[in-house]
Amino acid sequence: MNNKKKRKRESIMKNLKELYDYRQMIFSLVKKDLRGRYKGSALGFLWTFLNPLLQLVVYSIVFSTIFRNNIEKFYLYLFIGLLPWMFFSSSLTVGSVSVISSKDMVKKIYFPREVLPIAYVTSSFVNMLLCFLVVFIVMIIGGIDPNSTFHWTALLYLPIVMIVEYVLALGFAMLASALTVYFRDLEHILGIITMAWMYATPILYDVSMIQNILVEKGMGNLMHLYMLNPMTPIIVAYHQILYYGQAPDMSTLLSAVVLGLFFLILGYLVFRKLQRGFAEEL
Amino acid sequence: MKPENAIEVKDVTKKFKVYLDKGSQLKERLLFHERNRYEERWVLKGISFEVKKGEAIGLIGHNGCGKSTTLKLLTRIIYPDAGSIEMRGRVSSLIELGAGFHPDMSGRENIYTNAAIFGLTKKEIDARMDDIIAFSELEEFLDNPVRTYSSGMYMRLAFSVAINVDADILLIDEILAVGDTNFQAKCFNKLREIKAQGTTIVIVSHSLGQIEQICERSIWIHDGQIRAEGSPRDVHPEYLSFMGEKRQEIAEKEKERQEEKEQKKHHEEAEEKKVSPEELEKTKQDGRWGNGHARIQSVKLYAENGQEQNVFATGSLVMVKVAYELKETVKDAVFGIGVFRSDGVQCYGTNTRIDQLEEFNLTKSGTMCLSLDHVNLLPGEYWLDIAIESEVGIPVDYYRQAAKVEFYSQIGDVGIARIDHKWKLPE
Repeated sequence: MNNKKKRKRESIMKNLKELYDYRQMIFSLVKKDLRGRYKGSALGFLWTFLNPLLQLVVYSIVFSTIFRNNIEKFYLYLFIGLLPWMFFSSSLTVGSVSVISSKDMVKKIYFPREVLPIAYVTSSFVNMLLCFLVVFIVMIIGGIDPNSTFHWTALLYLPIVMIVEYVLALGFAMLASALTVYFRDLEHILGIITMAWMYATPILYDVSMIQNILVEKGMGNLMHLYMLNPMTPIIVAYHQILYYGQAPDMSTLLSAVVLGLFFLILGYLVFRKLQRGFAEEL
Repeated sequence: MKPENAIEVKDVTKKFKVYLDKGSQLKERLLFHERNRYEERWVLKGISFEVKKGEAIGLIGHNGCGKSTTLKLLTRIIYPDAGSIEMRGRVSSLIELGAGFHPDMSGRENIYTNAAIFGLTKKEIDARMDDIIAFSELEEFLDNPVRTYSSGMYMRLAFSVAINVDADILLIDEILAVGDTNFQAKCFNKLREIKAQGTTIVIVSHSLGQIEQICERSIWIHDGQIRAEGSPRDVHPEYLSFMGEKRQEIAEKEKERQEEKEQKKHHEEAEEKKVSPEELEKTKQDGRWGNGHARIQSVKLYAENGQEQNVFATGSLVMVKVAYELKETVKDAVFGIGVFRSDGVQCYGTNTRIDQLEEFNLTKSGTMCLSLDHVNLLPGEYWLDIAIESEVGIPVDYYRQAAKVEFYSQIGDVGIARIDHKWKLPE
C-alpha cells in the first residue's frame, strides 16, 4: 500500500518535471493562440481592448442609470471586477474545450496533456494583463481624490492576487477540460453556470449590499454559503487594491489562496486520472 | 527496472470498446440506453518483453495482430488495462509525422512548434536548427507556408525534426517510406548512425528487410500474444512460412471457389489439386520450408574450368547449379540466392524478380544455372541459401545453408568483400 503511494508520488513528480521540460510547447501554444485569436478581423488585436470596454459601457448604463446604486465612480469599480471575471469565465468555458479542440494532436502524439489547459489559461491571463493597462490609464486620467485614503503601495499586492486567480482558473480549466472529453454537454452547461456565477460574485455590486439584504430577511447565515464562492475573495481583493487603494484583508487573501490551491490540486488530480483515456475517448 | 534496460513491458493487456452506436451527449446516454452497447475486443492478451539500452528491435505480425497498439502504448498515447510499461529516457516517435504542423505557418516556425511538441526548449531547438534544415534539404522553401509544400516535402520536414530530437528511445511505425529513394537511403543511414550512438529503437514494419538491416531482435506478435522472439534470421523465416501457409490457404479457398463456380458453369468435375498437410510437414525441416511443389535436389558449385569445387580464390568466377525436382507446376517461379558469412552476416542476396527476368513457369524437373562472375568475398566460410518462390511470394522450397563455400586470398585486406580500387600517389 505504502509502495503504491510512493509510486504515485513519484509519477506526479515526474509529470511536473516533464511539464517544465515542455515549457517551449506551452509558450508556442500561447503565442499561437494570442496571434490567432483575432487574425483576419479588421480591428485585429484592438478587440482585446474593445471587447471588455464595450461590455463595460453596457453594464455601466444598465447599472448606474436604470438600476441605481450608490457606488462612486461605478464604471471603475465595475471595470476592476469585470476584467478578472472575464479571464476566469473564459478559462472555464473556452478552457473546457481545450483538449477536445486539439483532438488531432492528442490522438496521434504524446505530450503531457496538461499543456493544453495551461496554455489556454495562460493566454487568457496575458490577455487580461493587457486589458489592465487600460484600467491604469483610466485611473490616471480619472484622477484620484487627493483627500482619499488611496495608497499606491497597495498595488504591490496586485501580482499576488493575480497569481492566486491564475491558480484558481487553471484548476477549474483542468477539471472542466478533462470532464468535457467524456461528457460533451458540459461545454454548454458551463456557459449557463458562468452566467449565473457572475451574479453570485461581487462584480456589479458590493459584498455589503448582499449582507444587508440577507440580514434584513433574517437569513444572515446564508452569507457563509455566499462566501464559499472561490471567486468572491479574489474579486474583493482586486477591489480593495485597485478601487479603495488598500492592502487586502489577510483573511480575504488567505481564503483566496486556500481555495485556489484546493481547486488546482483537485483539477490536476482529476485531469491526471482522466487523461489516460483521452486518446480512446476522442 | 534493471539498469541495462531501456524498456520493460510486463504482462500488458489492452482491450478496446467497440461501440455499436455511440452517444456522447447526456440526452443520448439517458434516452437511448441501447446506444451504449459495445463489444470488448482484446487487442493484447498479455505481452512481456524487455529492450536493452542501445538495442534495436522489430515488431512483426499480420494486420491487426496488436503490434501498432503495442507501439502506441509505448508512446503513451494510450494506456494498458493491466500490466506495466517502464521506459527510461526521452522518447521520440516517428509515428504520426507532422501532427501539429500548422499549414499557414512557415517551415521554420513549424520546426519550432513541432520540436516543442517533443519537449525541446527553444535553446535546444536553436542548437539543432541547422541540422534539421540540412537534413530536410528544404533550405529554399523554409520561409514559405507549409501548405504550399508537396506531401513529400512535408514528410521530409517532419522526419527531419523527429529524428533530430536526440531521443534515448525512438519508436518508428512503418515510415521508412518517406520521400524518394535518395531520401529513404538517407533516413536509413541516419537511423544506423543514431543506433550507433546508443539510441534504443523499436520498429513496427511489414518490410522484414528493413528490420533485418537495423534490428538485432524481432518479436512476432500474433493475435495479441508474442509468438516468437529472437534474431530476425530465425524469426522471419518462421513468420514468412506461416504467412505463406496462410496465403496458401486463402489461395486454395479462392481456387476452390473458382472451381465451384466453374463446376456450376460447365457441370463438370474439376480436378482436386491440393497439397496434403502431411506433405507440407514433410518438406518443413530444419532450415527448410515451402509447399513442396518443387524441391531442390542439389546445389553444386563449379569453377570456370567446369570442375566441381567448394573452395575458390577471392575474385574468381563461381557457377551455381541448382537441380530441382518438380511435383506440381509452379507458376511465375522466382529463384533466389542469399550469401551469408559463417557468422550470419548477409553479404549479398538477389532473385530473378529483383533482376527483372521475365516470369517463367516450371513445368518439369530441371537445373537452374547462375554464374557469379567476380565473387570478391574475402577469405572465410560462407553459406548459400537457395529459394524457389511462386506467384505472390509463397515459398515453394526455401533451402537454408544449401551449400558451403570457402574463399582464400593472398592479400591481407579486411572486411566482407573486396572493393576494386586504385591508389593514385601524390606527385
